[in-house]
Amino acid sequence: MKIIKQIGIIFTVCWLSILVEKALPFSFPASVIGMILLFLCLLTGVLKIEHIQEKADFLLENMAFFFVPAGVSIINYFDVLKDTWLQLVIICVISTVITFAVTAWSVKLAVRLMGRRRDNE
Amino acid sequence: MNEIFASPYFGAALSVIAFGIGVRLNRKFKTPFCNPLIIAIVLVSAVLLIFKIPYESYNKGGEIINMFLAPATACLAVAVYTKLQILKQYWLPILTGCAAGSAASMGSVYLLCRLFGLNESLSVSLIPKSVTTPIAVSIAEPAGGMVPITVAAVIFTGILGGVFAPLLIRLFRVSDPVAAGLAIGASSHAVGTSKAIELGEVEGAMSGLAIGICGIITVLFSMLVL
Repeated sequence: MKIIKQIGIIFTVCWLSILVEKALPFSFPASVIGMILLFLCLLTGVLKIEHIQEKADFLLENMAFFFVPAGVSIINYFDVLKDTWLQLVIICVISTVITFAVTAWSVKLAVRLMGRRRDNE
Repeated sequence: MNEIFASPYFGAALSVIAFGIGVRLNRKFKTPFCNPLIIAIVLVSAVLLIFKIPYESYNKGGEIINMFLAPATACLAVAVYTKLQILKQYWLPILTGCAAGSAASMGSVYLLCRLFGLNESLSVSLIPKSVTTPIAVSIAEPAGGMVPITVAAVIFTGILGGVFAPLLIRLFRVSDPVAAGLAIGASSHAVGTSKAIELGEVEGAMSGLAIGICGIITVLFSMLVL
């Protein structure tokens, strides 16, 4: 029963997030609305972490599995990949290195700023 | 013959079995190249192609599995919530790093796509590739991207981060574990995070936080540009 209840809570949050998505004047992915809703529920104490812990762990630990069908549909896109796979690989490699460097560098800067502010206090 | 494959149980069972094999191989070889998701995708695709099973039949079961994507994304909130304490403590570096990283990722992909002369649909498929798969898909799909290309690019990026994170940390001389963890999470989401956890507790927690926060920031940025 515990797990059923947790599944019920998470499905309800997902359904509510679709309602919110429809109500918003701009387009915003429902799954991310669900994430924000759930976060707010936890923050405000509407939901306690114990209410959803097991179900959340199950979904997070098996996240990759849920992408198997989406990934398999790549067999419908072989003709696109045939001509572009090398460019796609190069783009992924270069942009991953850039993203890593920019993030690390800006965090370093922010930590230094925080330290300086603390010294002034 | 084809009707026995058209039952949703077929696609669902095939996916579970293929993923199970992927997890086993991954445990055995302990290298990010043996990614369970990639192994599962290759195995399922091979079965469909060899036995000439139409994708539509397989996808009857696939659609049921797809139903769990939104709940799984929502649960990323739980991952962020359990790290609330470090989020409060390091909110400035976390937000700065995730915002800069997301912008750098989207911007560099966009410029490279232009450089290589890739078409609009392919570019849109690649732009959100540094964030976790469910969020990347929910950005690329409505903007006219090709979902499987997005999924492939996201996984490949994750593996790159997982494999090369220790090298990148040395290359860019990142001595601060907060910076290292955020950089790994921002550039290579969950696959990278599994490596970050191996590097240390702070690295793992920061990388895990970056998955959710970069996801939301990337959605916001993409609303402005796509």
